Amino acid sequence: MSYITILYSVLAVIATLILAIVIGMLLPGIERKYVQARIQQRIGPPVTSPGIMAPIKFFFKENVMPNSPVPGLYKSLPIICFIVVILILLALMPQIYSFGAFTSIIAIIGFLKVEEVAYVLMGALSKSVMSLGLPFPDIVKGATHPNVERSYIEDLSSNRAFRLIAFGSFPLYLALFIPVAITGSVFLGDIVAFQQANGPFILTLGGAIGTIVFFIGYMILLNEYPFAILKTKADVIEGPYMEYASKYRSFVYLTRGFLMFTLGALFSVLFIGIPPNIFSWGILVNIAVAIIFPVLMGIMSAFSPVFTYKQFYPVVVSTSLLGVLAIVIGLLI
Amino acid sequence: MTEEKKSKKQEVIETEVALGTVHPAALEPYRVRLFVEDEIVKDAEITIGVNHRGIERIMEGLPVEKANALTEKVCGICSNAHIWNSVLVAEKGLQIEIPERANYIRIITEELERLHSHFLYLAHGSEVLGQETFSMRAFYLRETAMELLRMIGGNRVQYGVSIIGGVRPRCELNEMRIQKIAEGMETIEEGLLKFADRFVSDPMIMSRITGVGQISKKDAKRLEVTGPSLRATGVAQDLRTTMKEYEPFDFDVITQDDGDVKSNILMRALEIPESVKIIRQAIKNIPEGPIVDRSWEMFDCDMIQSYIEVPRGTLYHSYGIEDGRLRGSIIRTPSMSNIGAMQYACIGNHVTDAQLCIVQCDPCFTCTDRAIEIIDSNSSNSSNNSNNTNIINISNSSTNNSNINGNSNGNESNIANINGSSNNNAINDNISNISN
Repeated sequence: MSYITILYSVLAVIATLILAIVIGMLLPGIERKYVQARIQQRIGPPVTSPGIMAPIKFFFKENVMPNSPVPGLYKSLPIICFIVVILILLALMPQIYSFGAFTSIIAIIGFLKVEEVAYVLMGALSKSVMSLGLPFPDIVKGATHPNVERSYIEDLSSNRAFRLIAFGSFPLYLALFIPVAITGSVFLGDIVAFQQANGPFILTLGGAIGTIVFFIGYMILLNEYPFAILKTKADVIEGPYMEYASKYRSFVYLTRGFLMFTLGALFSVLFIGIPPNIFSWGILVNIAVAIIFPVLMGIMSAFSPVFTYKQFYPVVVSTSLLGVLAIVIGLLI
Repeated sequence: MTEEKKSKKQEVIETEVALGTVHPAALEPYRVRLFVEDEIVKDAEITIGVNHRGIERIMEGLPVEKANALTEKVCGICSNAHIWNSVLVAEKGLQIEIPERANYIRIITEELERLHSHFLYLAHGSEVLGQETFSMRAFYLRETAMELLRMIGGNRVQYGVSIIGGVRPRCELNEMRIQKIAEGMETIEEGLLKFADRFVSDPMIMSRITGVGQISKKDAKRLEVTGPSLRATGVAQDLRTTMKEYEPFDFDVITQDDGDVKSNILMRALEIPESVKIIRQAIKNIPEGPIVDRSWEMFDCDMIQSYIEVPRGTLYHSYGIEDGRLRGSIIRTPSMSNIGAMQYACIGNHVTDAQLCIVQCDPCFTCTDRAIEIIDSNSSNSSNNSNNTNIINISNSSTNNSNINGNSNGNESNIANINGSSNNNAINDNISNISN
């Protein structure tokens, strides 16, 4: 491999990453201003506010020490999540396809699992003032059950994150295996090559069903309404992120926007066969998918109440069954 | 008692999750302790008392007109209900007959207030459900009622319509105002119809609210639930049917059967057209004549009481008059008993639904945190006592907050802890005793 090729690849990777971060920073604003606010007939925030201005503002704010038993680990988790999302996007880039197992579906699932486990740890390590952190004399004479073990509300979100690992991520992971079932390979390079030769999977029956399943999984992973039980305002509020301040909160915001773009790019790779590469016109498809998904998500969340398990389980079960059906179709056809 | 058995039936309490007093889902500060097992609420305890302002204490000794104006500050949502009822107490004691036209204007204001309160309920309920779009729509509809109230009283809250003997001159309804109210009723009715249609046909919403926070008719009566929350369980009890002020108006008492969040939401949604009906009758038949009678004379009178039906239930005001000044004011808002009952509504529901179960009674915590009665339940004659030994009205005491738990006999706590219907019943009895 010549030096020019290596230089070209490195440049492509860096430029794609920068573009992804920029687009990712705009996505939360697009979702909130042009979708949710329009539906709700209100002005909404400036488009740059949720994804760009808020992280910048938080980055330069003074940090407040989080109320956490292990503050060092707690503070490092958003940065770990951000790095993991970068790794996922790197794995999707065609310049990296020669790295073998790193660019396989198994690796992608592993990285996404890190993201999910981080939510469990964040919840378990956060002790906010919204519940037991508030000095309130409620264990008084006549109080009910004075000797019961007491939990912070973030413990609830930690438990929920754990449950979501167990069942909530089924739709997304099943959707990831649909292209594997069709191509018979777990490597992204093979999946992209197959689609470039035979047409995108989204135009097949299995791929079309898989798109729906992927989208539901996308919403669950992003904890968006109606699947926002991890951070519903009615009880756990911000959930695992509650105690983050200053630059750590800034990373939380950046990671969310970046994850939106990355999952869009993942869909482009797996179901359309176009990997993110800034030196190709295909990047426009990546950007389009990255924008369409949050728009659809914004529409759906604007018209949905938050689901409790009573509604969550049937949705996950039915979506997972759809995912299994799509895999079977992919294997048969 | 059923609710006590219900609490004791719990098998295992895995942990306690305390929410508040600072919590975004709670628009007002209060504490709720949820005892959960696998995220299902096995028992709950609501604690109020952090908003105590001692309004009754401030009212003590004030000229009656001034004290009446102060009652508007009890609540920002149903401010008119408070001043109206407070004025009714004085009018009852001083035997004042107000002009018919003034009564019509008071009814119009009160029903407009009911409209905006019910829309606020629908908006807040939708917000707690996580359905922000419905919440916004309900707020837009509410704006019409708020603007009409501003037109009549000059303010969006605390309109100061009622005065002893009638209504303020600035609240006179001329042709233009009557026309505006008629147009507003059209807008509200049309908007509500669309809103309710979309709301009940949304399967996701229905799934979230059906069967959640259920209270049976029997328990609702025992727990002294009042107002729309009581009617949502099937009890057709509306004080407006017995109030002489409402005699000229024809309206239906709406009831629902299930006593759950869905019934409570539908109750408010269906009561809105009834209020619109009353307002339309009022603007159509409003009699000509003066709007205030200033020929009344002040004299001393003993404790007088007045009950009226307000958006959240039955509102009680009482005081005596001595040398033109107010003595021994007691205000009891409907949320007092409703909030106590709602902690039982939480039992058996998911933690996420707990706030929904509480807000289904449309609680107004700040209004409720005014007068707390301390009842010594260990006293043998507590149920038969009069108004002396076993009652401390903390508005008049040096202690700001107290524990009114049935098992407690002191004020060790700094917080009022509403535990069990027996306390609410006792409060009711004792308020009646004081008044008698």
